[in-house]
Amino acid sequence: MFQGFPEIKEALISNRMQAGFLVAPMAMALRSQGVPIKIVYLGHRYGSAVVVREDGPVRSVPDLVGKTMAVPSRFSDERLIMLKALKQHGLPPTAVKLVEMSPPDVAGALAAGAIDGFSMGEPYPSQAELGGFGRVLFPAREYWPDYMSCVLVVRDDVIERRPQAVQVLVDGIARSGLWLEQGREEREYAAEFVGRYYYSQPPALLRHALLEPIDRVMYTPLSPRREDFELVQDLMMEHGLLERRMAFEEYVDIRFAEKAEHLTAWKYAPWLVDND
Amino acid sequence: MKTQTKRVVLAVAAWLVVVSGLHLWLNVDWSSMRNELRTESERKLNVAYIPVT
Repeated sequence: MFQGFPEIKEALISNRMQAGFLVAPMAMALRSQGVPIKIVYLGHRYGSAVVVREDGPVRSVPDLVGKTMAVPSRFSDERLIMLKALKQHGLPPTAVKLVEMSPPDVAGALAAGAIDGFSMGEPYPSQAELGGFGRVLFPAREYWPDYMSCVLVVRDDVIERRPQAVQVLVDGIARSGLWLEQGREEREYAAEFVGRYYYSQPPALLRHALLEPIDRVMYTPLSPRREDFELVQDLMMEHGLLERRMAFEEYVDIRFAEKAEHLTAWKYAPWLVDND
Repeated sequence: MKTQTKRVVLAVAAWLVVVSGLHLWLNVDWSSMRNELRTESERKLNVAYIPVT
């Protein structure tokens, strides 16, 4: 487990990690710079929000002018959604001071008054809400209906030499996503075991992120769609994050997602097991 | 004097053994090292993530 995207980027470049979840613009920028990785699947959809201080004066996007907002990276969808919202209100990108911050640090920084708000993926908006010091100004989907953030990238040499292993990974994510979309019980169970055994986060926090409301974060459809990435690329070009446009096939390998299309959810319901 | 020196040497050696043992137990990622020793086709992929949903 890493604490920020720049560290994952370095681990992928050095081959310490063979695959990883990166924010889409960072994955695309790395590919354009010649880093041998490709996007093979998405991690989730939606699940990012712009959060401001609960007791602060910001009630709408124009109120953000002059404020300091944290984003996970310059190359992140969370930054692009801020810029998209500002543009929609006729405001320039410079209207808000955007600072890069490691995701686990933003809620503490907001509580301490070091920043006026943040644009970040779950569970950090939930953390600010549950802590009573943050309020969601808008969820990402309000300005970006098919919003996506984290994508699964795999090194080219692994795709070439071990396609079966990549397929197992993609299939597992696809089936887990379908499983999570079955209902509240699956999400409650996931919050419990992911919180305890993977993220070291309170299960109550993840329950809030996964259930309040239940479509706050979605786990289908996760197949990379050309139009979604075209939009990201347009925004990246507009804000100087890419030097040249790339063909979809240059940075996405769709084969694994296509093979995972007809999979079904895991059959796993431990809460139904009779313990008597 | 000689006995005291011997005691000090033994104590230092014991300390080194204990600290080295604790280090090997607590700080070395043995499963990762075992994974590196496997053939490429058997090796698990290392997948990086941060704690976001």
